[in-house]
Amino acid sequence: MPVRASRWRWNRAGWERLALVLLWLGHGTWVLLGTNPGRHWTRAAGLLSRPSQGLATRWEAWRSSRREAGRTLTTLRAENERLAAELGQLKLAEAKEAPRRVDADAAVHLLGLKQQIPLELKAARVIFTTRPATFGGLILDRGQDLGLVPDQGVLAPEGIVGRLWSVGPTQAKVLPVDAPNASVGVMLMRSRATGVLQGLGSGQAQIRYVSNQEVVQVGEAVLTSGLDRVFPRGLLVGYVAAVVKGELELRVTVNLSAPLDRLSLVLVLPTQPPLEVQPPFVAPDEKPQRKKGTP
Amino acid sequence: MRLPAPSATRQQLLCAATLGLIFLSAPFPWVQAILHTTLVLALAPRPGKPLPAALWAVAAGWVVEGTLRLYPHMGGTAWANLTLTLLAGGLASRWPLEGLRTWLGRLALLSLLHILLLHGAVRLAAGPHPWGWSWLGVLLSLPLWGWATWRLLHGAQPGRR
Repeated sequence: MPVRASRWRWNRAGWERLALVLLWLGHGTWVLLGTNPGRHWTRAAGLLSRPSQGLATRWEAWRSSRREAGRTLTTLRAENERLAAELGQLKLAEAKEAPRRVDADAAVHLLGLKQQIPLELKAARVIFTTRPATFGGLILDRGQDLGLVPDQGVLAPEGIVGRLWSVGPTQAKVLPVDAPNASVGVMLMRSRATGVLQGLGSGQAQIRYVSNQEVVQVGEAVLTSGLDRVFPRGLLVGYVAAVVKGELELRVTVNLSAPLDRLSLVLVLPTQPPLEVQPPFVAPDEKPQRKKGTP
Repeated sequence: MRLPAPSATRQQLLCAATLGLIFLSAPFPWVQAILHTTLVLALAPRPGKPLPAALWAVAAGWVVEGTLRLYPHMGGTAWANLTLTLLAGGLASRWPLEGLRTWLGRLALLSLLHILLLHGAVRLAAGPHPWGWSWLGVLLSLPLWGWATWRLLHGAQPGRR
């Protein structure tokens, strides 16, 4: 039985049929693609590459976040170091300026005091203190070069300090008012009773020779009386801390108002000042505290 | 009675001349549409030789769309021409011509199919577009161009009626 030859052999007719099919399919495909056929390729490529794009996007976002975090950390560290350096410099500058600021404040106070007292006052700087030692005092940086002589009164804006004890060519020693061998003529502001202030040490002093008939109140201001011819009348000395009635006189303890341990600038009064000047310090009008046992 | 196929050289020359006329008649859409349909349905199809017919039909489609310069995406006319030419060739192979009436009837049927398929393919390729009235001119003038092509292809042969 003869085998029938295949109709779709690769002869000329077969090639023609293949060309026809390809021509028809090509045109049909081209027609079906429609306007802007490139969009199909773009869409297909986008669809196929979506997983890899998502992966790449996440990878890039992760790298970007890591890079940004590293950059932020580096920037913060550098900024922190810079700020720390600036802070150290500022602290150093502040430490350098602190003494000058203190001196400036003291100078301002002294200037105000100098304007209030109509006397020729001379300013001096406290360069050393020997108060803890026996018969100690304050050492000033000016002496005979400024025309200073012993027994000139020394005061600060807060109150009187003492008197010049000895004067050298370029330095002077101040006997503070709380020294045991110091004495200042004082009076009580309200009772106007006068007495002599003698030092007790540690910023305290005691008023002697006040009659026990006087009425002295704790907290009462103590002013200079001017009778010692060292300080004019009316300069603030301190405030009454305690009053003890003795047999003949009152023992009045006074807290000195001048900070003797923290003085840097002082004013020196002229020798033999006038008895009366306008008092620069006016004590606050406090309500008098009646001490028990006093009438 | 079965008619013999026309001379291949004569048919190719007629196709080439018609294709040139299609290109030249671009300013006259009705004339171009009639010539286009004539080439695709009447002149190009040849029994047993589908490839040359398909190439002529495709060329006619691309020339028409190229000269129209109207569609954003061309190729629909060429694909419709290709399909209808292959269909006409298949019909001619399966049911050989027997006379002018059969020829005209077959051309009428193919013309209708061509018009519908042509607009459908162009719509697929280029989107919505105006149909115009050239298709009506093709149908109305079918006796004229059908008879002319019959005379050109089978002019002196016996039993042509």
